[in-house]
Amino acid sequence: MKKIAWIAFFIFAASYLSCANTGGIYQPSSYSFTIKIPAGWRKIDNNRYLFVTKESPFLQYVMVQNRPVSRSFRHTEKKLKTDMLPEEAAQIIVDEIASDNNILNFKVLDNTPAAIQGHAGFKILFTYNDKNGSKFKTLYYGFIKEDTFFNLRFNAADQVYFQKDIETFKRMLNSFQVIKAKSA
Amino acid sequence: MITWPSKLFILLFFLLPLGLTSGCATPPQSKAPLVADEVLANEDEIMLWQKSAEEQRVLESTGFIYPDQELEDYLNKVVARLQAHSSPVDLKMRVKVIKNAHLNAFAYPNGMIYIHTGLLARMDNEAQLAAVLAHEMTHSIRRHALRAFRRYKDQPAFLRAVEHTLSKTRGLQDIARFMGISGAMAAMSGYTRELEAEADRVGLEVMAAAGYDPGEALALFDHMITEIEQEGLEEPFFFGSHPKVRQRIENLQNLSDSGYINRGPRIKNSEIFLAKLDKLFLDNAGLDIRQGRFQAARRSVEKYLRIKPDDTRAYFLLGEIFRQRGQVDDATKAIKYYNQAIFLDPTYADPHKAIGLIHYKKGKRTLAKIFFESSLQLAPDSPDKAYIQAYLKLCAQNGEG
Repeated sequence: MKKIAWIAFFIFAASYLSCANTGGIYQPSSYSFTIKIPAGWRKIDNNRYLFVTKESPFLQYVMVQNRPVSRSFRHTEKKLKTDMLPEEAAQIIVDEIASDNNILNFKVLDNTPAAIQGHAGFKILFTYNDKNGSKFKTLYYGFIKEDTFFNLRFNAADQVYFQKDIETFKRMLNSFQVIKAKSA
Repeated sequence: MITWPSKLFILLFFLLPLGLTSGCATPPQSKAPLVADEVLANEDEIMLWQKSAEEQRVLESTGFIYPDQELEDYLNKVVARLQAHSSPVDLKMRVKVIKNAHLNAFAYPNGMIYIHTGLLARMDNEAQLAAVLAHEMTHSIRRHALRAFRRYKDQPAFLRAVEHTLSKTRGLQDIARFMGISGAMAAMSGYTRELEAEADRVGLEVMAAAGYDPGEALALFDHMITEIEQEGLEEPFFFGSHPKVRQRIENLQNLSDSGYINRGPRIKNSEIFLAKLDKLFLDNAGLDIRQGRFQAARRSVEKYLRIKPDDTRAYFLLGEIFRQRGQVDDATKAIKYYNQAIFLDPTYADPHKAIGLIHYKKGKRTLAKIFFESSLQLAPDSPDKAYIQAYLKLCAQNGEG
């Protein structure tokens, strides 16, 4: 997750002036969903995930991804399956994050079923520290539709930014629509 | 030819900042000569120790250390026993355990050895532990880090080596970043073939002199190579690397043929070893399950059950291994182990819920409902209560199945 933030940071910094920041419904060309990006937030669309931040990836970001169910994870050898229950998929996401040695003091605060725009899925709330001791909080939604795993996560510095921007994330979540189950 | 380990040390000393806090880092004073030109501590070695101390501080602040003081005390007793039969160097060897399922152990130049739970979980007795600790101890006592560094630091290919090394280190596993460059080098690539061979030979001598059965060194590596080959394990670290383990076996076999392995008393200390590590076997199995390494997890749990045959959590974990692996007939096997856990402790909620899940996925909603309900009765505040309640709701909606 830290790596994602760094990559995003450099892309973000490099393209700061050219990033769209006017908000509105966004449909990435290589994705099978639409989502409303809040006004003032900047997006990075790198064909593997849509990444949105307001101030900096280290303060807050929203990441939206659709990936093939069969795609391997980086830290666990477990794989998602199309017939998995949301709880089983959530367990694999937890295992993937917990197996990442960059994620320190990983704690799951909540792991519950969730409906994401009518799709049966899961919601995980967790905290972790990075190597420098900074604490982050993440709200992670996911669901499997046909052969695609959709996920939306909001990650923010735990102390202030999570509370400050969580409602914005929820509005984004409510605007999320699958237009076809095709993986990026 | 410059080898990778040496390149990494060159990188360590020329590219990394040297103004580090040194505090307690003091190189060893030899009471007897080890290698003629390496007896006295000098600036190179002082730097090496300073850097090691700094890297250890970072590593130990990350939460990777396995918190079991009793186990750590036991490991330190074994290493003290080995050291009593080693070269008389004023270097205090110490051991700590890292929570990581990969096969790995590595030593810093200042005598600190780190060993992964994954490697410990593959061992059967104290003699096998002694084999690994004696090998790693030899790297520190024989100053392999310093020797590697001195050998290559002034060579003309230095800059090219540094450049090449930089490109390689980007591929290090995440945990290696916390080990620092010297720790990562020791853990991942090992030293030169000659120095590793010396660690094999001296390590074997030391373990034999300390009274351990040297044949167990070969037994451990034979066991590891079988596992690596049968399961196609692809691991990033030295003791999980097929060619490196194969090299250990060849070296030990040659030493065996030349008579090293057939002398002295033969201590294995299986019982005390298994008693001290029993909890670790189960904890490491949990790490393996998390990473989807089900075969390795199963072996650890079964080893644990040989020590504690009536442990409910162990049976539950066996059930989890089969349920999560999800191959043909795995559900049946999982239910068998969950039932065994329930038989041993009828109040244990987790296997009830797991059996409910299996029935639910098979569409057997009536059976699923029974187990979900019993699970909730046993653990009304379970963290997965919301999922169970959702299943029960769907069981009620969908009717009999």
